[in-house]
Amino acid sequence: MNKEWLNRALASMHNKAWFGWRTHDDDGNKIPNDQRMTYENVIVIKDGITKPTEEEVNAKIQELKDAEQAAIDKKASGKQKLKDLGLDDAEINALIGA
Amino acid sequence: MTAILKVDEIQDTSGNNIINESSDTITIGAAGDTVDVPGTEVKTNKVSPTSGTALQIGDSGDTITIPSGATITNSGTASGFGGITMADQWRITADVTDSGNDLLDANWERVDSYGMGQIGSAMTQSSGIFTFPSTGYYWITFNLRQYTSNTNSRYNHGYIMLTTDNSSYNTASESSHWFHNYTSDFIYASSSASVIFDVTSTSTHKIKFNRNTEGSILTTGDTSRNLTFATFIRLGDT
Repeated sequence: MNKEWLNRALASMHNKAWFGWRTHDDDGNKIPNDQRMTYENVIVIKDGITKPTEEEVNAKIQELKDAEQAAIDKKASGKQKLKDLGLDDAEINALIGA
Repeated sequence: MTAILKVDEIQDTSGNNIINESSDTITIGAAGDTVDVPGTEVKTNKVSPTSGTALQIGDSGDTITIPSGATITNSGTASGFGGITMADQWRITADVTDSGNDLLDANWERVDSYGMGQIGSAMTQSSGIFTFPSTGYYWITFNLRQYTSNTNSRYNHGYIMLTTDNSSYNTASESSHWFHNYTSDFIYASSSASVIFDVTSTSTHKIKFNRNTEGSILTTGDTSRNLTFATFIRLGDT
């Protein structure tokens, strides 16, 4: 699980700071910094919130990816419609910035 | 007529040395004596300890002046001349979503990856409130890094907030960036604020960091990299 998508998905599930990462394992050994951001090391730091299942986290990641792709697709279709209306790339860029 | 007094040793009436010459070494006085030269200038090429390795110039309260235009060349180790005695850095370790004005109150850690380091005593932190290890002038910077994929947000402020009574906080420095979701992809922005804080008391002078966003924006954190972070450097005594 990509740590940035994991971080992003967890932060998107609730407002404000509600989760963190374990810094030490069950034996008290320090977990290396670059190995902390995993599902197994997620800890809930806010009352009233339960740790989501890994399946729920994966579903949220997919939801975010789908939303990102949908936005990219909408932008592409919008640009095409503007082209169909006769605008050239420079005019489209001037309108929407990309 | 020039008078010449030839003698190898001059003593006081009690037999204590005043001046003694032996093998080209001239000894003035005896151990424990104070040799007072009332003139305005003593010329010599080298001053060394008479025994051991410690040499003292003047006493506490004295002012030693290096004149304008003079040059001091230090080829050894200089200590006690000020310099940086404390430098510390903290970061947020996890992303957080929020809108409005809120304190960054969780997931702060002292940086400890990739060889990052600190000097001197550490800041301490509890629920986003930072306490200084000693009084002094501190230079503090706060970098706020955020991102969004689908939100326009005209203002996204990072605040450095100070208190001098451990109660009422003022926004002492503010940074800003904005998001206009032109691209549909994730877009990132960061801004940095800084302040010099005269910490005259470690119990009343505290600092915290807020972010204030129009839209629902993610503030980034990481356990290895400094994304949203604060730096504390002690510049000198208050």
